[in-house]
Parts: sequence; structure tokens; C-alpha cells
Amino acid sequence: MRLRIRYTKQGRVRFISARDLSSVWERALRRAEIPIAYSQGFTPHPKVSFPDALPVGYASTGEYAELTLATDIDPGTGLARLSAALPTGMDITTYLVVPDGARRFAKYLQATLWDIAWEPDVDTTPDLVDDLRHRADALLASDAVEVVRHRPKGDRILDVRPPLVDVAVDPGDPSEPRAIFRAVLRNDGPTIRPTDLKVALDGLADHPLPDPRLYTRVAQGAVVDDGVVEALTQQVEPLTPGRHAEAA
Amino acid sequence: MRAAAPPTTPDAADLDAIRRPRDPVVPPSYWDVLERLLPDVSQPAQYVGGEHNQVVTPWARARTRWLLCYPDTYAIGQPNQGIQILYELLNERSTSLAERAYAPWFDLEEKMRERGIPTFSLEHHYPLWAFDVFGVTLPHELGHTNLLNLLDLGGVPIHAADRTLDHPIVLAGGHAAFNPEPLAPFLDAVVMGDGEEVVLEIDDVLRRAKEDRVAGRLADRTALLERLAGVEGVYVPAFYEPRYAPDGTLRATVPVHPGAPTRVPKRTVQDLEDFPYPQKQIVPMTETVHERFSVEIFRGCTRGCRFCQAGMITRPVRERRPETIQRLVTEGVADTGFEEVGLLSLSSADHAEIGDIARNLADVYEGTTTSLSLPSTRVDAFNVTLSNELARNGRRTGLTFAPEAGSERMRAVINKMVSEEDMLRTAEISFANGWRHVKMYFMVGLPTETDEDVLAIAEMGIKVYEIAQRHGRANKATISVGGFVPKPHTPFQWAAQDTPQEIQRKLDLILEQIKPHRGLRLRTNDPEEGVIEGLLARGDRRVAPVVERAWRLGATFDGWHESETLPQWHQALADVGISLEEASHHERGEHEAFPWDHLDAGLDKQWLWDDWQDAISEKALDDCRWIPCYDCGVCPGLDIQHDTAYTNPETRGPSLPILASGPATPASPAPLGGSPDLPTSAARLESP
Ligand code: B12
Ligand code: SF4
Repeated sequence: MRLRIRYTKQGRVRFISARDLSSVWERALRRAEIPIAYSQGFTPHPKVSFPDALPVGYASTGEYAELTLATDIDPGTGLARLSAALPTGMDITTYLVVPDGARRFAKYLQATLWDIAWEPDVDTTPDLVDDLRHRADALLASDAVEVVRHRPKGDRILDVRPPLVDVAVDPGDPSEPRAIFRAVLRNDGPTIRPTDLKVALDGLADHPLPDPRLYTRVAQGAVVDDGVVEALTQQVEPLTPGRHAEAA
Repeated sequence: MRAAAPPTTPDAADLDAIRRPRDPVVPPSYWDVLERLLPDVSQPAQYVGGEHNQVVTPWARARTRWLLCYPDTYAIGQPNQGIQILYELLNERSTSLAERAYAPWFDLEEKMRERGIPTFSLEHHYPLWAFDVFGVTLPHELGHTNLLNLLDLGGVPIHAADRTLDHPIVLAGGHAAFNPEPLAPFLDAVVMGDGEEVVLEIDDVLRRAKEDRVAGRLADRTALLERLAGVEGVYVPAFYEPRYAPDGTLRATVPVHPGAPTRVPKRTVQDLEDFPYPQKQIVPMTETVHERFSVEIFRGCTRGCRFCQAGMITRPVRERRPETIQRLVTEGVADTGFEEVGLLSLSSADHAEIGDIARNLADVYEGTTTSLSLPSTRVDAFNVTLSNELARNGRRTGLTFAPEAGSERMRAVINKMVSEEDMLRTAEISFANGWRHVKMYFMVGLPTETDEDVLAIAEMGIKVYEIAQRHGRANKATISVGGFVPKPHTPFQWAAQDTPQEIQRKLDLILEQIKPHRGLRLRTNDPEEGVIEGLLARGDRRVAPVVERAWRLGATFDGWHESETLPQWHQALADVGISLEEASHHERGEHEAFPWDHLDAGLDKQWLWDDWQDAISEKALDDCRWIPCYDCGVCPGLDIQHDTAYTNPETRGPSLPILASGPATPASPAPLGGSPDLPTSAARLESP
């Protein structure tokens, strides 16, 4: 039995590195007594895989894992147990029993909806929202926006524009203003991270943006007009939450 | 040089409100500020807490609040059992809470100092200054500067004399607390020995003192320290003063405060069965050095290796029962999800019923992915059999043995009763059983050592390497050689420590000798590393200003290669005017006083001296568990005895040495103590 799982990584567990993630899961699986299958060979490994790594410190409501089990379980109760065994901030939100012949998980995770949030501040947030909107327009209007990513091995120049599908700015409610920049990025091609987007936005006006408070991977799935179709539920995660509600 | 100022703390009235036993004001949590810094530091998960089995108690629910600390990184300190035991015991009490702290790495410390973030707890990220007790473990000497740094960073004056009732009690325990004198001005109280009972007693005293303070019945910090000193085994350094002879040698450290005992005894838990802890072990979310469910199978060691402080100060041996071990392991593995079990002690193969313990656990986990490990370096076939048993599920990779010295003569001096035949035969059996790598631990710089003794290390290494090669070209042998550092409360406390130059010369001799045998590996440490350790191990109160100075010059993480602190220490020694020659590199006389003479580890000083004399005349001693007692002082002094199955004739195991010396032929492993039908079947003895 194979299970595909969507889970969250929020709060303190954001700081668990991709390297440490497997052992956190493996121990939770053992605590929850999930009969995970093991690979063959001298050092058998539990068959838990994560389609793509989230940089340390990012939050996510769109993390995914694939489990191969040695024996079948009732996924509802089993995964509830697993969710409870995972550290606080890691919650399983949905799952899918993988049908035979299904394509690789990564094939379903074509694009990511990202969310860059700034600390809300009554005085500065409205201006920041305006600023973000101008930069968003400028970004969409450009054919290429190059950024330099600094790495210990040497700087790298990346064009953030090709994988960028769409962006939006969420000002929140008038009673609770906030500044959130959202973007849908295609996952194929060279990986552009939301930090690269932030650098790109910095260069689109005469002053850099303040440092964001939090980067969040909201969901992953296929590209649609207004966001992504989440891979497991097939529900649309909209680029601008509430837009549909407003229109209605 | 340490530049930034420590973080600011609230004024006395606010501190008082935070520290109140009932209806306190909750201290600020530094999580929000810290969280913003974490994306830019290495291994941030070490600072977040939130692990399985952490205990989070609301501040107002407890009347006494402890911050327990291992003064090194989380990766090193988290696996320590001592802190986890005390954490569990204190958190089980309805009136107390305990949180944990570790030392922040350089990158985070810098940011914390920039922003005024104090030393914090992992559970709530509360500041050190808010707690009633800062309970620090000192398992060895190289955490001393980290302790000063954590205090300073935690908004607590580093000098005990500058603290008031508004500051935490700084309480130290652990092996290096058996000579706390180099830290005397910085510590309020020290406990030697087992912490299980005494922390609860201290907690009781503290709780009452806090209530009394509210009621106006506790005058000042000295009054609180007096009450603490009333607890058996609690040493309050401020109540003692060293007396020096005109030539500067120490005469004695004497009590100068009414009621302070002349000698402070160590604490000993007679029956480990009373404390089956830690049960709810913390499951780290980031890599640590020991990721396993550990069960301490016994405490103490009676082999009497003369260099070994741990063995001397933790006497007598107290074993946990096999059923309890089995229960702790099976429940603990299920609860934590760990894939490895560690059977921990100072010499785990020496548990009277280790054969049964190993077999039963191996049975439980047969065919699973759970692996078992036993940190034992005993040089005999029995140890190989045990390792075979424990490796049922895994590969037979490496085995480690500790002959400690190369020549027979030298081993008699240090009382490590292993013959060359023992080592060679054990190596033979190891490789014949399919193990691929044999590592051996040795020391140089031991008392009475000659170059011949040093070269014998190389010889033994070469012989073992030849055995390795006979069993397979890919097999390996490694000799690991460290420099000996004399420690308090051991027969070698009188010995001169070799200078790093001399250690290096000896290491070079070994290197030269093994050069033609290219496959034999040699591992050594930088000989300079023993310098600080030696200074702090046997130092007196005059070393304390050196510790402070070295820290002020920027020394922390003294045990780390990443942190080159030797220059600061040499500078500090020069500034304070202490010579290493005096402090470490000369032999001490029979009637010389030690800085720890007023601290009673249960070992009779005369016995230690006699044993030192026996050492010099190359007379070895047997293990006092099996043969008649030597009157080392521990057992009668503490009115306790070795608590092992050996006292029961029915479960009595073989006496030492387990293998009679004989020709180095591949023998089958010696039968395990207890039942003879352990599945060390012929099949498992076949070479692969
Ligand atoms: C697990 C372990 C490690 C682990 C984890 C760290 C640790 N120290 O726990 C690792 C692998 C990281 C490690 C590393 C090292 N270790 Co180590 N380690 C051990 C081991 C096997 C178990 C420790 C343990 O959990 N003991 C069980 C608990 C219950 O005992 P405890 O910690 O002493 O605590 C009890 C009391 O001391 C007391 N207590 C302790 N602290 C406090 C604090 C307060 C406030 C109070 C009231 C009481 C109290 O209460 C506890 C319960 O009774 C011991 C051997 C042993 N069996 O003790 C060696 C041991 C502690 N390590 C030792 C050494 C030398 C080292 C290294 C320096 C080795 C090296 N050269 O690199 C490093 C140093 C690491 C560092 N920078 O801190 C020596 C210490 C030497 C000595 N004092 O004689 C020991 C004794 C091994 C030996 N036989 O030589 N170690
Ligand atoms: S066997 Fe020797 S070295 Fe090991 S703990 Fe016991 S006394 Fe110390």
C-alpha cells in the first residue's frame, strides 16, 4: 500500500532541516506503529520519501510525503495516529491511497503557490501594499528579471521570470491590514525560490523592500488561471484568497 | 575579546514578582525575537525545543523553577542522561518545573548579544535570569568557560558574591564537580555524586525558603545558602577558604562559616531500582551525537584503573535488574521511536547478568530494524560474543578495545589487567567472527613511562594489524592514542602531567615505528588539548581568575577544534601569573594538600596513596567486586555495598580474568555468565 500525504510545517518545526526530516518522520512512524516497508540491502531504509525539500525556516501548508507500507492499514485512523505522533506544527491534512500505475508524485506537483508575508504594522502596511502592487505590475510586465544568488561556491545569476506564472498582493481586511505577496511558480526548470523573488522585487523600485516576516509554501499542484489545483484534493488554492467570495 | 554587554534584566520589584512562588508574573518569552534570527544561524532546530517528551509546565503552576543545562551545544549535551533524569524527576513534582538550556553556537551568540537576548530555555524560551536555580552539569573540565558565558549571557552576575536573592542559585554537579575549586567564585552550590535524591531535597529547601521570603522570614542570599548547605552533600564554596603556606602551597581548605561541615560527602543512591529514569527520553528533531534510547545498566566501576576518575568517584557498583532494563528498553523504544538502544555504563560487559540481558533484548528485536549497542571496550572474547549477540540485526563493522597501555609493565602500573595474549587473541576472535575493524585505545604520558613502553603501543598495533590482514585484506586496525591527564580522587592525582612537547615526542615515536605498516592507522589528538584540561582538573581557587580571564579574552567551547582557545588561555595564565609547570607538570608529595581534600568522594586518601605507591612498584590489583575488598574507603564509608548479582551465589558469574592467559590461538568465545545455552551457535562463528 502506498500513501501520498499532504502535511504542514509551521511554527517551531520550520527549523527542522531537510536532512533531519527523515529521522523525525521515521521515529513518528514507529511511535504510531505504522507498518512502513523497508528497502532491501545491508542498511535497510524505511520507504518514506519527500518529493522536494523546503528550505530551513520556511513555513508550509503544502508539504508532501509518500509512504510505502509493508501491510495495508486503515489510512484514516492510521494517519490520524501518525499526525498525532508528529511534532506540533506538523499535521497531516489530507492523503490519497496511490492507485496502481500512478505516475511519480513529482509529476503532479507542477507548480507551487508561495506566500511572502511582512509583519503587519498599522502605520506602514498600506504604503507597503501599494509599493508591492507597483512592483508586482513591473515584474509581470518584464520579460526577464535577473537576480544574483550568493552562494559559498560562487554567485549565480538567475532569471526569475520564466517560471513565474502569476502574482498577487493581498492587503488583508481594512480592519486587519496586512501585506502578503503571492506568486505561482512552476517547479520545472531551474528552481526559483521566493527569496529570489524578493530580491527581484527589491530591484524593481529605487529602494529595497523591508525583510519579510515569513515565507510560506501554501500548496502545490497543477497550474490554473487563478492559482494551483492542489495535487491530492484537486481543489483550487486561489492566488488571491477571498477574491471569489468578493465577486459573489 | 568579549565586547557586548550582557542583556538587561528587570528591576528588583519585577524580578521579585516573576520569582514569587504563588501567582507570579510570567517572564517574557524570547521566542518571537529569537525566531527571526534562526533562519540565519547554523542548525537552528537545536534552539527550538518542541521535541517529543519535552515537558511544558505553565510558570504559575510551579513554585520552584529550575533551568537545567549542559554547557555545550545541543548536539553534545542532549544525549546526556544526567540532565534528563533530573528533568524528569523535577517535572514529576507538582510543585516544581524544569526546563533545559544548552550553549548557543558562535553565530547565534553574536546575534543574541547584539539584540540583548539572554540565555534561554528550550521549552518556553524564558530567560535564565527568571529561574530559581541554574542547574549545570560539568561532565568534564572543558565546559567551564561556557558556563561563565551562559551566566553572563543570561543576565546573571558571574561572581556568586555579586548575586542577591533576585538571582538564580547557580548549582553544579557531574564528574568535574568533584573539584569545583577553579569555579569556586562563580558557583553558589555544588553537588558531588548522584543527583536523584539530592535535587529533590534541594528543591524542598528552596520551596520553603521561597515561601519564607514572601513571609519576610528569609533575610538574604547568605541565609538561603546556609539552608542549602544544610542538605547533605551540598557544598557552598563561599563558606570555605583555602589556607596557603608561606611558600604558596595549599595547606587546607577550611570552613569559615558557622555550620559548614569540615568535609562534604558525595551523594550515592544505593538502589538504582528506586530511580528507573529517564523513561520519557527526549527525541531530538535535529542531529545529536548519540541518537538512541539509552538505559544505564549499572552505575560505578570497580576495575580500579588508576587513571580513571569516573571509575573511582562513582563507586560502588550498583546494577539495575535485568527485568527493569528489559522493561525500560521495550517501553522506551515504543514510546520514542528510536531505532537504536544503548546499554550504557562505564564498562557495560561487566554487568553480572549481561549475557541474559543481551540475549533477551536481541530476542525481542530479532528481525526488526532496531539495533543494540553496548559501549564496552573490555579486552576479552566474552566482549566479542556479546557484540555478536547485539549485532544480530546488523553488520559486524568495528569493535573497540581499551588496553590503554602498550607494555605489560605499564599496564600493571595503571592496573589494567590485560595481557598481550588477551589482546591478540581477542583480535583473532573478532576477525574470525567477521568483524572488520578493530580499534584500540591507548594513552601516553602515564607515570613511570619509558620510551620502551611507548613503543610497545606501536608493537601491539602492528601485531593486531597483522592478524587483521591474515583474516582478510580489507580488514582494518586503528590505534588511538591520547595524552594522559591526571585527575583528582584517583591514585594518579599525585602524578606529573607530561608537557605537550613530551606527549608529541612520544606520539612521533609511535608514528615512526608504524610507518612501514601502512595499513595500520594511528589517531591522535593535539597534545595541547590536555593542557587546559589538566590545569582545570587539579587547579585550586587561584585558577579561577585564569578561567575568568580566558573567558573575557574570548575563550568558549574549549573542547572544540572550531574554537582555538589555547592562545587566550596562555595569555590568561600569564596575566594572572600562574605557571603550568607548577600547576600541572610536577609530581606532588605525599603530604601535599589537594584543593579537593575537603570534598569526600568516599575514597580514603591513604588508600589512594598506597595504591599510587603500588602503581609505581608495578603492583596490580584485582577487581574488588569479585575478590575481597581492599578498603578503598567507599563502601564502609557510605555504609553501602556493591549491589550486583555477584553477591548472590546462584547467579555468580566467572571471576576475572575471564580468559586465562594462553597462546594466541583462535578460540571460541568464552561462555556467557548465567545460562550456557546462549545462541552463540557454530553457524554464527563461521567466518564469512
Ligand atoms: C553519553 C556520554 C557522552 C555523550 C553525551 C554527553 C554526555 N557527557 O553525556 C558524548 C558522546 C557527547 C560524550 C562526549 C564526551 N565525553 Co562522555 N560520556 C558519556 C557517558 C557514556 C554517559 C553520560 C551519562 O549520561 N551518564 C549517566 C548519568 C546518569 O550520569 P551523570 O551525567 O554523571 O549524572 C548524574 C550525576 O553526575 C549527577 N549530576 C550530573 N549533573 C548534575 C547537575 C546538578 C545540578 C546536580 C544536582 C547533579 C548532577 O546527577 C546525575 C544522576 O545521578 C559517560 C560515562 C558514564 N557512564 O557516565 C561518559 C563520560 C561522562 N564522558 C567523558 C568524556 C571524557 C567525554 C569527552 C570529553 C570525550 C572526548 N575526549 O571527546 C566528550 C566531551 C563532550 C563535551 N564537549 O561535552 C568521561 C568524563 C571523564 C571523567 N569525569 O572522568 C566519561 C565519564 C567517560 C569515561 N569513562 O571517561 N560523552
Ligand atoms: S574499566 Fe577502568 S577505565 Fe573503564 S570505567 Fe572502569 S575503572 Fe574506568
